[in-house]
Amino acid sequence: MKFLPLVWAGLWRRPVRSILTASSIVVAFVLLGLLQGVNTGFDRAIAAANRNFLVTGTRVRGGAPMPISAMSKIRNVPGVLDVAPRAYFMEDDNRSKENYLAALATDPDLFFRMQHKANVDKKDLDAMRRIRTGLLATPELLQLFKWKVGDAVTVRSRSLQTDGNPDWTFNIVGTFTMPATAYFGVINYDYFDSNRAADRGTAEMFYVEIQDPTRALAMSAAIDRIFANSSHESRTRSQQERAEARAKQMGDVKLFTNAIMGAVLFTLAFLTGNTLRQSLQDRSREFAVLRAFGYSVNHVLSLAFAEALLLYLPPALVGLGLARLLAPLWKEDFGSIVVSPEVAVMGLSCAAILALVGAALPVWNLSRTPVAGALRKT
Amino acid sequence: MNFISQTLAVTSMNLRNIPRRLGNSLVIVIGIAGAVAVFIPILAMSISFRATIEGDGSDTRAIVLTHRAIAESDSSLSRDEVIAIMDYPQVMRDSRGRAVASGEVILVAPVSRKRDHSDVNVTLRGVGEQYFAMRPELELRSGRMFESGKQELIVGTGAVSQFDGLQIGENLRLQDGDWKVVGTFAGSHGARESEVVADALTVMSAYKLNSFNSLTVALRSPRELAAFSKTVEQNSKSLLRARSEPEYLATASESVNRMLRLVGYSIGSIMALGALFSALNSMYSAVSARRVEMATLRALGFSSMAVAGGVLIEALLLALIGAAVGAAFAFAFFDGATISTLGGAVWDSQLVYSLSITPVLATGVVLLACALGLAGGLLPAMRAARANIAEVLHET
Repeated sequence: MKFLPLVWAGLWRRPVRSILTASSIVVAFVLLGLLQGVNTGFDRAIAAANRNFLVTGTRVRGGAPMPISAMSKIRNVPGVLDVAPRAYFMEDDNRSKENYLAALATDPDLFFRMQHKANVDKKDLDAMRRIRTGLLATPELLQLFKWKVGDAVTVRSRSLQTDGNPDWTFNIVGTFTMPATAYFGVINYDYFDSNRAADRGTAEMFYVEIQDPTRALAMSAAIDRIFANSSHESRTRSQQERAEARAKQMGDVKLFTNAIMGAVLFTLAFLTGNTLRQSLQDRSREFAVLRAFGYSVNHVLSLAFAEALLLYLPPALVGLGLARLLAPLWKEDFGSIVVSPEVAVMGLSCAAILALVGAALPVWNLSRTPVAGALRKT
Repeated sequence: MNFISQTLAVTSMNLRNIPRRLGNSLVIVIGIAGAVAVFIPILAMSISFRATIEGDGSDTRAIVLTHRAIAESDSSLSRDEVIAIMDYPQVMRDSRGRAVASGEVILVAPVSRKRDHSDVNVTLRGVGEQYFAMRPELELRSGRMFESGKQELIVGTGAVSQFDGLQIGENLRLQDGDWKVVGTFAGSHGARESEVVADALTVMSAYKLNSFNSLTVALRSPRELAAFSKTVEQNSKSLLRARSEPEYLATASESVNRMLRLVGYSIGSIMALGALFSALNSMYSAVSARRVEMATLRALGFSSMAVAGGVLIEALLLALIGAAVGAAFAFAFFDGATISTLGGAVWDSQLVYSLSITPVLATGVVLLACALGLAGGLLPAMRAARANIAEVLHET
């Protein structure tokens, strides 16, 4: 039984038609792969958020920061394991420089427990604990400023030191990597806060490590209750909620990508369905010949289905592969487009469904045509 | 018979034959309709976004920011600087001699988006008392102006339509408690209508701010810009910089614009490529289904150019129908749709804008679709014209 060669030959009966149809499928799946990749990129960002952490910030943004005394109040909430303050250090001077250093002033240990996708060496964390003026930076940041580990760097900031000096010196003690390109550093909150003149003893947010992620909502409410009706009302959300909110702020990206995917799939279903219909109809006589030779109806029909699958799946795979190759092109402007194995599986299932649905109607027609009738037709 | 009448005869024969191969002809129509229906709204998004941002620009106004600031929120101007610059001779004065200018602070206010109840931010702008005098295109639509010293807000109609809690009489929870909405304004068709506006000094005292973010002034005439910029630059020892409003707005929105354009053209060109393949497929099928008729025509003395022309015109007409269907679809579903996305004056505040599918945009995309149709018809037309008459006629 030469099943595959027959299927193959059927596909190449009209090479131009098959190639053009295959090309449309490739193009459609490049687009589907990219769009679904955008969706996956967002989902990943949300899923990656560590569920064991909450972030407490001021209820109103741009207002006065929270007093550091809030930290011990939060720590007393049952179920809270640890709390760390966070403030921003911004380089800022009027000598017109191209790039400015931004660093998070926090407790590096807790910060990196929370950012479990970040990678940091244990010895670098130890060094941060020993060296108050330590700075951990991403390799991208070091490259941008042409700094290296071991350097002592001095930057000017609008936050003056207690003695009025605007110049801050940090010792670069190590590096860390983030899942995506990142240009920031991490410094010790204690050092920054005890040496700054303004806003001393405040933090703009607190990272809160909790025991039980399933109680995140209740714990957020419990924390916000402490500061309700005080001069610094708080707003606590889990990392996951924050990631979700960020994704939504972009605008309804998913609605947008899904609408386009719908349009593409509809168009593609019509185009390729038509090709299949024509191709199978053209050959109804040949299928009748096969049946006259003694092939069963089912055998002949599976031949038709196999042909449809062969027309769809390889081009779909090529399209998804191209999407994966092209995705990095948009990285700078559009964040991560993740053409993951799941996207590929989703794409290939779509392709298979389109193939089977597209072939179903002509196959049904074929199966109803009596052999003699089909043979008589010229 | 001359070439034109031959072509017309072939075309009309082809067209009358379409119902017999409807499925095939619909392939080109739907392929192109799909591409057009996707491409038009995406382009409209990018164009409308830009038009909204730049809608506020007037070359009679200039904005003063810190030298290296790209956006207002990166900039900081002291009270003294603002007072001094408002006294410059190039600044317009009203009948009572006050400078028509507004020192502004921008912050964000948390609101809930009506469509999906998600937490988003709108721009909260603290403005000077001459804000409306400086922006004559804006006017109060309902309610009244805020009183300085009171925690009161007026809200742009764009923001009122998209976000909850911004109706007159409602309270917005900001620094120092509740701020009451007392009026709504509109008029510029620009980004200002996405904003919540309050008195700058009241905002600064509630948020304990000591500096403004920006100063916008109305100039006596657009020609004063150069002199004004020069004075600002010299007097501030190059720490500050004045630009015309349109120039500032164009640079401030550049990154989001770039992203929208990139998305638009990436998706558009992939869709166009797909539509091209479908057009080719459709026209090849059309030609191969009618090989015998075309060979017969040529045997009867029709020129091969006329036969090819007939195929091209058919492709063009079908593409045109597809483009019209796609454009009509896009128009029906997206024209006038109001959306809100990131793009406000602060990096994470929302911009409300309406998609407008302009005739220029629609015409451009339809022309592009026709070009695709023609490109898809070209190779099949050449095949039809070149086929060996004797061989084709022998086949039957």
